Amino acid sequence: MSTGQFLLEGWTWGGASLPVGAAALALYLAAFGFRRRLGYFAAAVGLALATFMSPVGTLADGYLFSAHMLQHIALLLVVPALALLGLPRAQSLALRPRAAGHPVVAWVAGVGAMWVWHAPALCNAAVTSGPVHALQTVSLLLLGALFWRPILAPREEERLPPPQAILYLFGACVACSVLGIILTLSPVTVCSVYAAPVDRLGLLHTLRDGWGMTPERDQQIGGLLMWVPMCFIYLSAIMAQVARWFAGAGSPEAREA
Amino acid sequence: MAGVILYALMRFRWREGEPDPEQVAGNRAVEVTWTAIPCVIVIALFILTAKTMSLSDPPPAPTPDLVVVGHQWWWEARYVRSGAVAANEIHIPVGRAMSVELDSADVLHEFWVPELARKITAVPGHPNHIWLEADKPGTYLGVCSEFCGTQHAWMHFLVVAESPADFASWQAAQLRPAAAPSAPLAREGLALFERTSCMNCHAIGGTAAVARVGPDLTHLASREQLGAGIIANTPANLRRWLADPQEVKVGAKMPGFKFTDQQLGQLVAYFETLK
Amino acid sequence: MSDLSAILARAGLATPEEREHWTMRWISTVDHKRIGMLYLVTSLAFFAVGGIEALLIRLQLAVPNNKLLQPDTYNMVFTMHGTTMIFLVAMPALFGLANFVVPLQIGASDMAFPRLNAFSFWLVPFGGVLLHLSILAGGAPAVGWFAYAPLSEMPYSSHHGVDYWALSLLVLGFGSVGTSINLIATVLTQRAAHMTLRRLPLFSWMIFVNSFLVILALPVLNAGLAMLLIDRLLGAHFFLPPGGGSAIMWQHIFWAFGHPEVYIVAIPAFGILSEVIPVFSRKPIFGYEFVAGSTVAIAFLSLLVWAHHMFTVGLGHTVDLFFVASTMLIAVPTGVKVLAWSATMVGGRIRLETPMLFCVAALVQFLLAGLTGVSLAAAALDWQAKNTYYLVAHFHFVFVGLIVFAILGALHYWFPKMTGRMLSERLGKWTFWLMTIGFNMTFIIQHFLGLAGMPRRVYTYADLPGWGWMNMVSTVGAFLMAAAALVLAWNLAASLWGGRRAGDNPWNAWTLEWATTSPPPPLNFERLPAIRSRRPLWDAANPGRPDPVVGTRWKADTFAPEKNRTAVTTFIISESGFFAVLILAYLFYNARPQPGPSAHDLDVAKTGLFSLCLFASSLTLWLSEVSLQKGRRGAMRAWLAATVVLGAVFLLGQGLEYRGLLASGARIGTNLFASTFFTLTGFHGLHVCVGLVALLIVLALTRAAGPGPGRPAALRAVALYWHFVDAVWVVVFSAIYLLPRLR
Repeated sequence: MSTGQFLLEGWTWGGASLPVGAAALALYLAAFGFRRRLGYFAAAVGLALATFMSPVGTLADGYLFSAHMLQHIALLLVVPALALLGLPRAQSLALRPRAAGHPVVAWVAGVGAMWVWHAPALCNAAVTSGPVHALQTVSLLLLGALFWRPILAPREEERLPPPQAILYLFGACVACSVLGIILTLSPVTVCSVYAAPVDRLGLLHTLRDGWGMTPERDQQIGGLLMWVPMCFIYLSAIMAQVARWFAGAGSPEAREA
Repeated sequence: MAGVILYALMRFRWREGEPDPEQVAGNRAVEVTWTAIPCVIVIALFILTAKTMSLSDPPPAPTPDLVVVGHQWWWEARYVRSGAVAANEIHIPVGRAMSVELDSADVLHEFWVPELARKITAVPGHPNHIWLEADKPGTYLGVCSEFCGTQHAWMHFLVVAESPADFASWQAAQLRPAAAPSAPLAREGLALFERTSCMNCHAIGGTAAVARVGPDLTHLASREQLGAGIIANTPANLRRWLADPQEVKVGAKMPGFKFTDQQLGQLVAYFETLK
Repeated sequence: MSDLSAILARAGLATPEEREHWTMRWISTVDHKRIGMLYLVTSLAFFAVGGIEALLIRLQLAVPNNKLLQPDTYNMVFTMHGTTMIFLVAMPALFGLANFVVPLQIGASDMAFPRLNAFSFWLVPFGGVLLHLSILAGGAPAVGWFAYAPLSEMPYSSHHGVDYWALSLLVLGFGSVGTSINLIATVLTQRAAHMTLRRLPLFSWMIFVNSFLVILALPVLNAGLAMLLIDRLLGAHFFLPPGGGSAIMWQHIFWAFGHPEVYIVAIPAFGILSEVIPVFSRKPIFGYEFVAGSTVAIAFLSLLVWAHHMFTVGLGHTVDLFFVASTMLIAVPTGVKVLAWSATMVGGRIRLETPMLFCVAALVQFLLAGLTGVSLAAAALDWQAKNTYYLVAHFHFVFVGLIVFAILGALHYWFPKMTGRMLSERLGKWTFWLMTIGFNMTFIIQHFLGLAGMPRRVYTYADLPGWGWMNMVSTVGAFLMAAAALVLAWNLAASLWGGRRAGDNPWNAWTLEWATTSPPPPLNFERLPAIRSRRPLWDAANPGRPDPVVGTRWKADTFAPEKNRTAVTTFIISESGFFAVLILAYLFYNARPQPGPSAHDLDVAKTGLFSLCLFASSLTLWLSEVSLQKGRRGAMRAWLAATVVLGAVFLLGQGLEYRGLLASGARIGTNLFASTFFTLTGFHGLHVCVGLVALLIVLALTRAAGPGPGRPAALRAVALYWHFVDAVWVVVFSAIYLLPRLR
């Protein structure tokens, strides 16, 4: 299969993706009605669908580690963030027990989801086994939402104050960079299924020779995606926190104090 | 930008007795704009860079044409297909891109021919690759551009680009072992070479000397320079070099052997036959 | 000597009763203002040394094929020049300014930890002397300031220069981390009432952000230096390819420190520009929020771009491209700053006195440095320009054109506050013009030399067309700069002796340091003005049109934690960086099986048992803290003692593990597993020992006196550290003992 062919035919229309996405949107509309913030939520659903149905999803399914990493980052960091932004301002996200929402727990959840799913055994299992893959998807979305809650909770009082939020995000960035550095510089294959894919679409030749995606380069790109662009996501969030802190510099009211 | 600063300096000077100006603390719209514009410029520059990179440095060939090894402080060049060996002087055919593998025998070196190719570091245990191509015949200067110790400054080499026919005949000449010298003085020189410790480091094709520590001397007299560019390759300079390499190039790995004048004459006579 | 004391007394830097023993008073001082000045004096002294080295370099290069210096001498000179200028001139100068200015700007009476401050300072002259002792011990290092392996390894640099270099950098690194922890704690815990974090003057804000960069970056270098020393002195092969090591690893480690280091010295310079330009334009900074916020972005990005120093080392296009992107992105926040400074000048009433002259020149020169910087970030251009005089010119435009000029501006700006006397404007302008002309003459032409193909770090060059005269121009420029330095020295001396009295606020500036006398009294302020905005003195002088009030909307604005905990937390962040490098190195070097001892020879069960002791000790220590809170002193001491015992048992276990390995013939240099294992566990063990000593001290303190004020803080601070050491062991144990058995 050539590159052009693949871009045309590499889409997955069947499966559970579309119904689940539609259900999510319907649920949102049922709960909150039609409002401007729906745009964020729709973007979240759209991106989630794209990561599964587009050619990226097809590649992530056993062909390319780097495509898997794109999917991983989107599901853990971008989709939950957009979904939280899509909630109405008044919606409380109080968790029970309260400890579950503690920033340390949330931080460990977000960073842990990155690390644990890249343990070689789990990484391979998520590709070869359907149920494990489903579990991975759900856990990434949920843990991602838990991670973003202290930053993007709709209600101001459920969020961390900006300096703590900056520290929180910076710490997460460092923790993920370390994993990215390991993946990039590691002389051994971390996720072995991608080194010898089952070529069910007849695509391998295009990837290896046409795109120059050797297994080493593939893993390197995966690691770099986690190391550099992911840090850009955290950096954007940090800058948003700086803006939040400095915004309204003239307002003398002491809302929190 | 510099214009704005200059304008501000000329236009907004303080004069005696003037009060403080209006206290403008910023303008959100202006600030957002001037954050956004550099972002766009940066993205454009990035795309440009990515394109140039893939154009100027395509992926290497599966097997290199040439393996270049950096040593403290000289370059060894091995032609993979023919087996020819050169030192500090690399010949290439005009118009053909040569795939070069870079290696190092000791510390980091960096292979750079400014007029012909990008620079690339020679890392021990981590071979690197570049392409070397000349459009026009000529002699191009190359240098080591990564600091590599005492004589980093004198680790020059020459890239001689010549027509394919000339290159072929040069390569054929390089492959020939050294002919046994006929002149008596040169014969004594060869005997002296084989008797002393020269053979511990150097090779001369056709003799018992096969060591690879120092430059291969089989075609020493055909080269333009000595000591990786520090002096021209003339009989007088060669004699100076043999008399005391440390006087010519402090720190060079070749020790001085305290040859007598007579021995120097014999050695120079012999080496001059190594065309 | 008595003359000097007379000068100091005249300048108000020694009280009449101090005149007898002024040397002792200054050596033993813990006053942040005096320590700040000591830093600056040290920096100036080493500036003279580094400057003479620079002149030697330029003399040697003035003409082609010059024989003034021997090659090795030249190599030592440029290595010492780079190391000196960065670690012994730029860093101390900026720490000195921060030391003097930050407590004054935030309305504090001193740093949070005055004695730590003095200790950190004295490490600088000590480290500097240690570095120069190498000259007596066989020769200075001759490996360049980044000491690339394998050239810096024993087989290629066998005299002890590199060892002295590494040790002195470790010493200086500890000092820098100590000062930075102190500065963070000072800004967080010592601010005057109403000096909220959002009202910080930009210089203090940038020093605050910068200090985080220091505590994150320096430990990375420390870890690398430790590995280099273990290679050199104990026969390991971390960076020696023949033994399985990696030369590229050193570059990763060095530049993971080295690139942030550039910003560590640049960000305070940005802070200086952000103070001086508004004052001399008579306008507030244009867009405080953007200038402050872009500092955070710069600090963050600077940790993410180091591989751009390695575009020619063969990491591959894939890696290169990611770092082209992140590097170019830095241009955005930097550009925001440059635009903000320029916009501050537009519409102002610019007074071109010496501090402003230096800062405007710094701004313009930094523009050029930024342009060449972006061009070097484009990997395709870097493949040509790297390691040439183009690069030399670029980073001198950053280090001299921006940083030295900003420091000189700051010196002229704050000197009246330090000594109570003005510097001469006339001599100041002489310094400025000599410096500016000399600097641009020296370095602009080096861009062209680089483009003509002249590599850096060559002790001489062939007589190629144009090279001779261009180098000569550069050399002449260097001597103009030397002349500027002499004028400056004369100006400083003359002003100390008989400069015009400065008064409290000679520049009519707006931040708090100008609200007290010049020089300030020992505890800085008798009375503080009202602080409602970022320019309290403007508000006081212009009651009719004060700045808009900066609100205290966030709790974080008035955030003022307990200082011991703050310091230990900061220290822990720093130590995490150190251990992260060692753990990454362990994983990298043990990714592939290798002959000799390996992780499979270790006894997991036994070490696991001893590890449980260590983890349990965190529990007992927590119980001790709880007892302290409940006021049960006996229980507190009992749990504390239990903690010590458990920690000691863990160390015993480590000893047994070591004995087993040593008995099987493994040494630290045997193979990479042994090297990484002993290094990682050894440093962890060292931290356990330090923790034990600290715990014993707390135990002793609680015996001597009751849990008086201060003691609970000490226990909590030490406990925090101990929990950290245990947490590190969780990671180390997983990496060494559990991971290999998962595969």
